[in-house]
Amino acid sequence: MKDTVLAYELQQVSFAYHPQQQILDNINLRITAGSWVTLVGANGSGKSTLAKLLGGLLAANAGKIYVEGTEMNQESITHLRPRIGMVFQNPDNQFIGATVEEDIAFGLEGRCLPRDEMVERVKRYADKLEIGHLLSKHPAELSGGQKQRVAVAATLAMEPGIVIFDEASSMLDEKARGELQLIMREMSESGGYTIISITHDAEEILASDRAIVLKDGGVAADVSPLELFRNQELLSSCRLIAPFRVRLIQELSSRGIELDPGQDIEEVSEQLCRYISSK
Amino acid sequence: MSVHFEQVSFAYDDRSLWRHGALADVSLSITPGSFVGIAGITGSGKSTLLQHLNGILKPTAGRVKVLDFTIGAGDKGPLRELRRRVGLVFQFPEQQLFEDTVEKDLCFGPLNFGVPLEEAKDRASRALEMLGLDDSFLPRNPFHLSGGQMRKVAIASILTMEPDIIALDEPTATLDPQSRAELLQLLSRLQREEGKTVIVVTHRIEEMLPYAESWIVMKDGTPIFQGTPAELVREERHLSEAGLALPECIRLWNQLAIKLGLEQEEPCLSAEAIAERVAALYEHEVHPPTWGGGAGDAG
Amino acid sequence: MRDKLLFGRCIDTGSPIHRLDPRAKITGMILYLIAIIAVGSWPMLLVTVVFSIVYMLATRIPLKYFVKAAKPLWVLMVFIFVVQSLTVESGEVVLQIGGWALYAGGLKSGFIAAARMALLVSFTAILTFTTTPGLLNQGLDGVLKPLQKIGIKTQRLTLMMSIALRFIPTILDETHKILKAQAARGADIKELPWKEKGKLLLSLLVPVTVSAFRRAEELVLSMESRGYIVGAPRSEYHLLTWQTKDTWFVLSYVLLVAVVLTYRFI
Repeated sequence: MKDTVLAYELQQVSFAYHPQQQILDNINLRITAGSWVTLVGANGSGKSTLAKLLGGLLAANAGKIYVEGTEMNQESITHLRPRIGMVFQNPDNQFIGATVEEDIAFGLEGRCLPRDEMVERVKRYADKLEIGHLLSKHPAELSGGQKQRVAVAATLAMEPGIVIFDEASSMLDEKARGELQLIMREMSESGGYTIISITHDAEEILASDRAIVLKDGGVAADVSPLELFRNQELLSSCRLIAPFRVRLIQELSSRGIELDPGQDIEEVSEQLCRYISSK
Repeated sequence: MSVHFEQVSFAYDDRSLWRHGALADVSLSITPGSFVGIAGITGSGKSTLLQHLNGILKPTAGRVKVLDFTIGAGDKGPLRELRRRVGLVFQFPEQQLFEDTVEKDLCFGPLNFGVPLEEAKDRASRALEMLGLDDSFLPRNPFHLSGGQMRKVAIASILTMEPDIIALDEPTATLDPQSRAELLQLLSRLQREEGKTVIVVTHRIEEMLPYAESWIVMKDGTPIFQGTPAELVREERHLSEAGLALPECIRLWNQLAIKLGLEQEEPCLSAEAIAERVAALYEHEVHPPTWGGGAGDAG
Repeated sequence: MRDKLLFGRCIDTGSPIHRLDPRAKITGMILYLIAIIAVGSWPMLLVTVVFSIVYMLATRIPLKYFVKAAKPLWVLMVFIFVVQSLTVESGEVVLQIGGWALYAGGLKSGFIAAARMALLVSFTAILTFTTTPGLLNQGLDGVLKPLQKIGIKTQRLTLMMSIALRFIPTILDETHKILKAQAARGADIKELPWKEKGKLLLSLLVPVTVSAFRRAEELVLSMESRGYIVGAPRSEYHLLTWQTKDTWFVLSYVLLVAVVLTYRFI
């Protein structure tokens, strides 16, 4: 059988802004292409720094980072960068263009794409993210959720294989947050993207394949999201709270009722009703 | 009533270009000493509403009564005393800190209101304590604190004015889940133990459900719902109508209520309460406890 | 506050002026500036006013927006008027108080100077009202291109300008928000005496600067992650095509300048 393709391989990666204060210490990681990995941890655990290293925005002080088999360094970064897209936290501060279409086109202009192709991609990705009707809008006329969709469209238009979401949903309202998660789910299901997300959001973590817990600059745990939410100690170390669905399952379990957390609360509700009427 | 809006309307004076979040014919009441949640999406007018509480914005029509003050259209009366008694915490308050020590920032408000320096310092240390920070923070530079700590200091800087009402605009935004829960517990303590009226604007209904005693749901500048948490759960359509996400616990409870005939019961919303209720239902026969008890639909 | 932020905002009415090549508009504005400087008499002021109003109407944007654009500068205009009126001593004496006299010539040149200022500010608003910032940028890039030959990095210049245009409204908004927060803590800038006003504004520098730096830092990261390299070749999303109407547009300004200059020097 063929080896699984790796999106990332980190070998003994360390990083520090000042030599006396190590932010990341000896990180070893392998991330399979097409998977969805969440990085969790308390403030100061190094997760944001790790995201910047993965995105090629910072260079490691020690160790090696391989992106799709190529080692990241000064020379290779220019070629690797188009493979890696990043969506950041503040919708306002990543809106570079003066209008939606200019913002989506910004990265494409830098790739020197011919105009026809830019126009086609801007339209295709704007439609994909349902912002096709907003192309001529100024950021001041858009909601936070819409701006974040623009950021995602601008990132996907570059056609990267890896997309890093750095707390991309944390400034959005509940509804927009749900919508962004849906986009991420679709991206993941399409199989075309490796997704790395940094988040506090329980639902977003639950939707991913794997949670990497960072603590004091090191990997404290590498578990499935459900394992993370069932481990109180891990949860408090990254200041998380399990989603309602998982807490409910646990409360029920402690009362002798065993249910499956399923995909959403509706599945839980059905199981519960069946359980009660089974008597 | 500590807050009373009578047919309040408000429009930002730029007439056409960027009109947003204005209020249209708002009438509502808030009981003194209660914990109130105001829910609504961006642009529903919830932040505009909040800024009417201390006269930062004044109604273009109608009247706002807060404590013993009345603000009508065009009123220009003295607002200082009102502003001392109604503490308003804007979104991302940590971005509004400006002094070089926590203590100076905390004293800024009281000194503006003529409180002597010694007393202001006393209040600073008390306010910090209320938010779970100790005196060691006083001499520190607020810009060197963590995000959650800065947020607490910024809220404490409002508490030092010793307001009767404290109103906050999305105080938990961007904090991690445990910090969010801690902050809401602190606010709830201020309400229960210090007798403050606490008003919180939010679009995260779920995290406030354990604390809020009453809810106002805003849509397009008008309240479309005012009532108790139980009423909010029973009339969940108002939340969807306002464009808000329905919390999982409300969805679950209502589905169980319909299928098992629990509509008249006081809703169970925490994971523990629901589990307890389900276990009880399984143990005993399904019998709705308050059938015809006269509670009915209070909405 | 938001009202004053007309600066740098495009108001899309789809008029013929909106569809002109931004390079034509920028060239037109430069020519207009020359004409305005040369205006020195009543007939020419009238010609320029008529010329300006015709173009303002052609944008289909209500005239009041142009008036609003000049509004923030009224103090400066009054100042220019007063200084000119008091210093120019020609023509008849209109008013005499003790040893001090006000001359008709002074009044005239004061009025014309203030009117020129008002015209300049409100008329150049045509450029920002009818051109999206992106196009404006690209137009500026086109107009500045000849400077590249003498070694000036015009791409940096236009990038800086576009980011400034993009963030000035955001930063003003933020300042406004902090002022409101200060008011809530008992320091209402509207009610404070002048000296205290100054102190309060000074105190805003800390949070506003901190936030501007944070925004800049995040924007740079975002640009970098989208592959931006300063000075690297880029293709252009908007295609600028110079049409005959653009030539006519520029020629109308050349005519204005010619008329004003001829009247002045002949």
